[in-house]
Amino acid sequence: MKKRVLSTAMAAAMVVSAGAVTVPVYAKDEPYKAALLINGTLGDKSFYDSANEGLTKLQEELGEDKFTFKVEQMGATSADEAKWEPTLYDYCDDGSYDVIIVGTFQMMDALTNASADYPDQKFIYFDEAFNFEDGGENIYNVMYKQNEVSYLVGAAAAMMTTDETLDKVDPSNKIIGFLGGMDNSVIDDFLIGYIQGAKDIDEEIQVAMAYVGNFYDSAAAKDMALTQYQNGADVGFNVAGSAGLGQIEAAVEADRYAFGVDSDQAAKLPDYAANIPSSAIKNVGNSLIRAIKMDMEGELEYGQLEYLGFAEGGVELVEDDHYKEVVPEEIRNKVEELKNQIINGELEVPTALGENAMSEDEIQALYDSVKVK
Amino acid sequence: MWNAILSPDFFGAILRAATPILFATLAAAIAAKSGITNMALEGIMLFSALFGVIFSSLTHSAWLGLLITVVIGGFIGLILAFFVLNLKTDEILAAIAINLTATGGTVLLLVAFSGDRGVSTSIKSVSAPNITIPLIEKIPFIGEVLSGQNILTWLAILAVILLHLFLYKTPLGLSIRSVGENKDAAESVGINSRKMQYIALVISGALAAFGGFYLSGGYMNMFTKDMSGGRGFIALAAASMGGNTPIGGFLVSLLFGVAQALANVMQLTATMPYEIILMVPYLTTLIGLGVYYYSQKKKKERLSGK
Repeated sequence: MKKRVLSTAMAAAMVVSAGAVTVPVYAKDEPYKAALLINGTLGDKSFYDSANEGLTKLQEELGEDKFTFKVEQMGATSADEAKWEPTLYDYCDDGSYDVIIVGTFQMMDALTNASADYPDQKFIYFDEAFNFEDGGENIYNVMYKQNEVSYLVGAAAAMMTTDETLDKVDPSNKIIGFLGGMDNSVIDDFLIGYIQGAKDIDEEIQVAMAYVGNFYDSAAAKDMALTQYQNGADVGFNVAGSAGLGQIEAAVEADRYAFGVDSDQAAKLPDYAANIPSSAIKNVGNSLIRAIKMDMEGELEYGQLEYLGFAEGGVELVEDDHYKEVVPEEIRNKVEELKNQIINGELEVPTALGENAMSEDEIQALYDSVKVK
Repeated sequence: MWNAILSPDFFGAILRAATPILFATLAAAIAAKSGITNMALEGIMLFSALFGVIFSSLTHSAWLGLLITVVIGGFIGLILAFFVLNLKTDEILAAIAINLTATGGTVLLLVAFSGDRGVSTSIKSVSAPNITIPLIEKIPFIGEVLSGQNILTWLAILAVILLHLFLYKTPLGLSIRSVGENKDAAESVGINSRKMQYIALVISGALAAFGGFYLSGGYMNMFTKDMSGGRGFIALAAASMGGNTPIGGFLVSLLFGVAQALANVMQLTATMPYEIILMVPYLTTLIGLGVYYYSQKKKKERLSGK
């Protein structure tokens, strides 16, 4: 019975969408319309905010008569998950959007289904690799070379943890910390870059790794990070959504350092800034501006995956006055040098994603090589 | 790994992790004693975590913030009681409604008060203080564990004692328990069962509010979206495993705290996949439940002579 209702609904949806595809053809004067569907909420001070800021910036630049967008916040909890796919289908049904933007690995299944059912609807998918073997000719897939920016974080962390001039570190040991939300390929990519960056500075570095298991339990995350700090880690790095704020609080409590992620967390958490040297940012906003501008010119290639790194402005390490205040000049110069090497291709950072991805075994071997003893 | 386990930090972590669970477990226990499963604990905790931040910031006082939060927690318990007892709603459905309202409602209120949707850092809240105990502070190891804990941790332990005395040493406690045991029998001796269940649910809501307040004003110093993280549900299992008694609940909460702290240390050295390690606290609870009910069953069988 359920199946029949669903298939009837699908059939109805297809009829509607088939009718809708013709709209853009004789609506040339209409502004370019984008819908940003986020499987979370704005105010994450992270990449949903970044995406929203990017679109807002683009609208300010081009004017509302050229570009409009709508943001739909679908919520992130398990209770909200059931709405994600239907909401995506609602927007596809609407048919008036030139492009629908979704992101993160959690939206993969919903997008796979929707892109197959609405072949004429264009999508932009960020922050996870789409499996193009299952179709997806109407999807432009953008990923970030988070391994490049986390390489710099790892290098900075490794230098900081033994730096005697810093008051918030114990230079006697070589342990740094990492707190992830869940074990997925994007977070692996972060971690691989982080470890490699640290190892290239100091072969003997040890990395304490922990996963929260979700992206919202900040209190549990705080205790995990505290355990790391109490057992010798001086510098941490979190990639755990709002749960990652737990690590930052732990850093404040233990008087250690924590690098932020996905947004300038030192600027957004001024009370804790002294403990946040810098943040690793995936510039989702930049990448959306770039993609939509290309699409307006008809130059955006759908059905493809593109990785944006330092060279394309897809990622960045926040290097403002605060960063200069906290991190000693010597370390900053080394980080700058490494960054330039990455940009001009001299230095290739290992990755968990794409064609050159490390194998599972190689990743495990890398993790094992820096395990805390 | 052993160094990490044998450090005072480890025991501190146990108490930190156990505190919110303990409050919620006590909340679940008193509701269960009156014959109602209070599944709304999760939602009450989430609401309270946010209210704690908002009201401690508005009143510039952790204590006033806590007081208001606890009163509202009790009020949510009252609403639940009204739906279940007066309107005869299914207690599970009413609780689910409260939990879902909390998930969306906290974000809505957070936006209204701070403009943010994820975290409350733009609200200057006041957290409950950590307590250094003079003299004891100086004792090596034990002093480091006991001193410097959040005052709410001590309040939680005090609540265990008070709730135990209330349930087992006062006439009102006896009436509540008798309603839970057998409503009709209690009514037949002139106990107003509805009133007893109202009282139990209000206390339950207030206790859960303490736990929620602790999350954002003690454990963490800010509210983050969905920060209750399933603790209200874990508490239901913990209370049940502790035989719905305050002392039993206390022991189970401690066990959960130990498992949680142990899991954190296990992640440090990462000897096995983290997914398995993250299961440790829940697995411990599950196995504990199994052992407890199996022994209960055996005991019953022995008594009935089967």
